[in-house]
Amino acid sequence: MQNLQLLLHGFQTALTFQNVGAALIGAVLGLIVGAMPGIGSLAGVALLLPLTYKFNPTTAIIMLGALYYSNMYGGSFSAILLNIPGDSPAIMTALDGYPMASKKKRPGQALLTADLSSFIGGSIGICILTFTGPALANLGLKFGPSEMTALLLIAMTSISWLVGENPTKGVVITMFGIILASIGMDTLSGVPRYDFGNMYLLGGIPFTPYIIGAVGFSQVIKLIMERDQGKGGAATDMKLTIRGSMITKHDFRRLLPPALRSGFLGTFIGVLPGAGATTGSFMGYAVQKKMKSEEELGTGAIEGIASCEAANNAAAAGAFAPLLALGIPGSGTGAVLLGGLMMWGLNPGPLLFTNEPDFTWGLIASLFLSNILTLAIAVCVIPFLLKILSVPVKYMIPCITVVCVVGSYSSSYSMYGVLIMFLSGIAGYLLDKNDYPTAPMLLSFVLAPLLESNMRKAFIISGGSLDIFFTRPITCVLMVVFFGVVATPVVKSMMKNKTAGKASK
Amino acid sequence: MKSRKTFLAAGVIAVSLIIGGCNSKQASSGPFVPKENVSWVVTSKPGGGSDIYTRMISDIMVSEKMLDQTILVTNKTDGGGEIGRNEVANTKGKKADYTLLTFNSGDLMPMVQNTANRSKNFRILAIMAVDKQLIFKGEKTKYQDFSQAIEAAKNGKKVVIGGSKGDDIATYEAMLAEIGLTQNQMSYITYDSTGDAITAILGGHIEFVISKPAAASEYVEAGSLIPVLALAEERYTGNLADAPTLSEIGDYKNVEIPVWRGVAAPAAMSDAAAAYWSDLLGKVAQTDKWNTDYLEKNKLVADYKDMAEAGEYVTKYEADFMAANGIK
Repeated sequence: MQNLQLLLHGFQTALTFQNVGAALIGAVLGLIVGAMPGIGSLAGVALLLPLTYKFNPTTAIIMLGALYYSNMYGGSFSAILLNIPGDSPAIMTALDGYPMASKKKRPGQALLTADLSSFIGGSIGICILTFTGPALANLGLKFGPSEMTALLLIAMTSISWLVGENPTKGVVITMFGIILASIGMDTLSGVPRYDFGNMYLLGGIPFTPYIIGAVGFSQVIKLIMERDQGKGGAATDMKLTIRGSMITKHDFRRLLPPALRSGFLGTFIGVLPGAGATTGSFMGYAVQKKMKSEEELGTGAIEGIASCEAANNAAAAGAFAPLLALGIPGSGTGAVLLGGLMMWGLNPGPLLFTNEPDFTWGLIASLFLSNILTLAIAVCVIPFLLKILSVPVKYMIPCITVVCVVGSYSSSYSMYGVLIMFLSGIAGYLLDKNDYPTAPMLLSFVLAPLLESNMRKAFIISGGSLDIFFTRPITCVLMVVFFGVVATPVVKSMMKNKTAGKASK
Repeated sequence: MKSRKTFLAAGVIAVSLIIGGCNSKQASSGPFVPKENVSWVVTSKPGGGSDIYTRMISDIMVSEKMLDQTILVTNKTDGGGEIGRNEVANTKGKKADYTLLTFNSGDLMPMVQNTANRSKNFRILAIMAVDKQLIFKGEKTKYQDFSQAIEAAKNGKKVVIGGSKGDDIATYEAMLAEIGLTQNQMSYITYDSTGDAITAILGGHIEFVISKPAAASEYVEAGSLIPVLALAEERYTGNLADAPTLSEIGDYKNVEIPVWRGVAAPAAMSDAAAAYWSDLLGKVAQTDKWNTDYLEKNKLVADYKDMAEAGEYVTKYEADFMAANGIK
């Protein structure tokens, strides 16, 4: 009850004219920043941070919080409409969002699904944050290297569902992603790996340009190559109005269960140190894959969009718990926010909730506020966004190219990023042309380094013994789940063979 | 004639070197006055310690009206920062007079280890502050103090310390050498940042964490981190005063690997310009804003060194580091 009272007090702070305005500006900027490939919440918050030094801290954090938060909505726009994820959590959204928009000709519904499930996931995340914030953060702390290793192992197994029809190609491409990820300085020992004496490679393959290239620019090449064969811009027969974008009751019923489930799951993953929204949306999608969906995932299923969009928004909310309760940033963006807190003269840390209740509860209240604001804005812009689809391909190609170049340049302010973007774009196109799925490559690129560093940390702690994975309760449970997941198909096919063998006799 | 000119030039350089730190007005071509925008390279991400340090200095320069020009701070993080450092090292001509680089001990170590760049490829303009580290235990740590942990490690119990990259590892290795333990007896886990290492100790996953005072301060206040060892020549003050130095807990020498924050420039920067910048940084170091808003807040030690002193200091630091790590 005390939390509720504090929350109401927080609303008092958040609902002042000035703060609502700040949230609104943050929400709009966040949508724009999120929709631009390459410029994710990290860059958005970092760019806006210096502007907020003159504000009072509460207003400033409300604006930045709203920006961070609405960014998760924006990322899905370009993923659904152009198959170019605006940020890394949206990679999963593109898997179902783009087919739904292009093949099923329901782009409006796809966007609305993404918006609604983002809202549901986000609301769940914020509610959990409100009532259990500090406790949740403490639970997150229990996840050490061994727990994270087990969790990431489970996450890695779900790559197998994305490999498509040819498992060999899927495995090859997963391995390729892992090799790319291991370029650069080894995080634990500082030893350079596969740098070939090149100074640029010391820092590894930069994530954002790589993703923009492999997913976005390869799409541009595809558009160019396939321009002559049949007209791609078949948007004319689609209903491009907001009314035409309404989802049916049946659609909503399909959307709700995955959104709710992912909301809880995503919040929890957001709380874990170093996991973040990308892992969140990935796990949400993976779990959905295990559940029943009306259509197969990957073909434009509403469930697919809902499961990952809800998860990434929930994770974004969840990431605030360790940030506020313990001063621990759950993500890169969190780290920048933390830097901001210090600049405003607040001391982030375990005492923030007690020392600065105005600030923390104002922020939480503003998350509720910006969630609603962003939903409203996001729904209103759908008709405008849909206009993108009626733009002829010949104009589309140069525009997307520009966005790709700007996005990859701005990730580290250098042409190296642009070069990586072009190279991975070409590679991505060639892979796609030869029926290699790119999603496993991107996901192993994200997950493998996390898995490696956590596993090695676990082994340093245990002194090289495997015991650590089975003697700690949380780890042990996760490992059992992992083995269960791995063994199920094997056992299933064995059972099948047995019964088939019996039947033939 | 020619020899006289050379002699004169040599004389001018000598004079400007001698008076470099204190006054630039006597340089032959007249004092250096900045007429263009200044580009300041930071080789780490926005929002991090180096970035805050840089923006604080540039902010003071502009807000206290020491400089009429605009300072453009750019974060060049490619290649783990090596690209940015290399670019600055190779900046030539007039542009060299307007290029600054944030250069810390944590930047020097990977640079020397992984590239052919050395500190002599730069002009070290100044050192602005020095930091030291402490070792903290968490609430879940099973050792009372650090001497107990040393005992346990000697008896075959595994003790794990966490910390960040660069400086922290160097201090850990120096400490280990002094105590006489191997890396297997007392292991080190490298985290991406001190914050991550603190997260790990709050969760009870490691026994100790090595950190600078600023990053740990809030947790000490809240009681979730307890300082157990000061890696310095003498004890800290304030809430860190309880932590003994290494010589107090056993028959060891104190270990102190200073973590310094400096400002460098391209080697090609003219003497007049170098003297000007070094002097300006010295003025920044004397402002109230610098002392209260930066040093005090981050619990850093004020230790301004001018160009000559800083250059000497960094060269020695680099030589020591290379010798300790067997780099030629």
